[in-house]
Amino acid sequence: MKNLIVLSFILCASIVKAQDKFFTKSGSVTFHSKAPLENIEANHKSVTCVLDTKTGNMQFAVLMKGFEFEKALMQEHFNENYVESHKYPKADFKGQVLNNNEINYTKEGTYSAKVKGMLTIHGETREVETKGTIVVKQDKLLTVAEFIILLSDYKIEIPRLVKDNISNNVKITVDCSLEPLKG
Amino acid sequence: MKKKRIIISILAIAIIGGGWFGYGEYSRKVKDLDRVKADLSMSAAEIISVFEKNEADANAKLLDKIIAVKGTVRKLEKNDRGQYTIVLDDAGISSVRCSMNSVHVNDLQGITEGNTVTVKGACTGFNHDELLGSDVILNRCVLEKNNNQ
Repeated sequence: MKNLIVLSFILCASIVKAQDKFFTKSGSVTFHSKAPLENIEANHKSVTCVLDTKTGNMQFAVLMKGFEFEKALMQEHFNENYVESHKYPKADFKGQVLNNNEINYTKEGTYSAKVKGMLTIHGETREVETKGTIVVKQDKLLTVAEFIILLSDYKIEIPRLVKDNISNNVKITVDCSLEPLKG
Repeated sequence: MKKKRIIISILAIAIIGGGWFGYGEYSRKVKDLDRVKADLSMSAAEIISVFEKNEADANAKLLDKIIAVKGTVRKLEKNDRGQYTIVLDDAGISSVRCSMNSVHVNDLQGITEGNTVTVKGACTGFNHDELLGSDVILNRCVLEKNNNQ
């Protein structure tokens, strides 16, 4: 009997602990690059994201092959010539919500979040800092952020032939709806 | 004179043909997998074990391949943007996550947990996570067969 009580306490404790963490495996990341000839845009629908609301730790994992373009040729060039997804199949972000204590994850509302961390694409890691929003709604967290990266930072080379047509600036939009992780 | 005319017409045909091919190539859409034959077929348990054994080898072998995966539906998820994911597995916490092509969303009617289905999709890789479990990811998926219907 005593053991049972202890066990149930441990179980309760672990459930509470687990609910600090929110996650999704079907988050969205879009990138957009303005170009004189035509804009380049791709969307990813299977992004994994975990946010620990207690510590503010945030992680994203992206499989590079999962970016979908409207045009097949663009998708092939993106994978083969630019991000070389056969060599570097994954991108990830590991960072933190800097103002985590200003966000009340138990009260519905829209909070602005400052996020800083290390972004790895194409085998290169750079520090990224951006502002985003976290909307607490029912038992979900909607996280949205937008930031610009430079292709040259990640050693993604633009062939000289198309250099004038492809911008070095790429806008990344992150849109993830996180659910509580049940233990 | 006649020779010149022939050369000019050949050139014209080449330019028009080249332009036509170029434009077709340029505006080519990513293929709907509904009309593409799978490169290989395997069970959910098989593809998971291939990735768990050696991810780099599995990537080399399976990335970008169109794979028909047969497994048990653990969950049919719909996210806030209305996109569907079929989660296939046989046992354990690892799974195959099939991100469904929204064009063929009607095919998903009648699918429930526990059904045995075959889903065809492009393999985009493996997410290994201690906390969340490991997943093989298939993209642009279409339902090939629902064994329960």
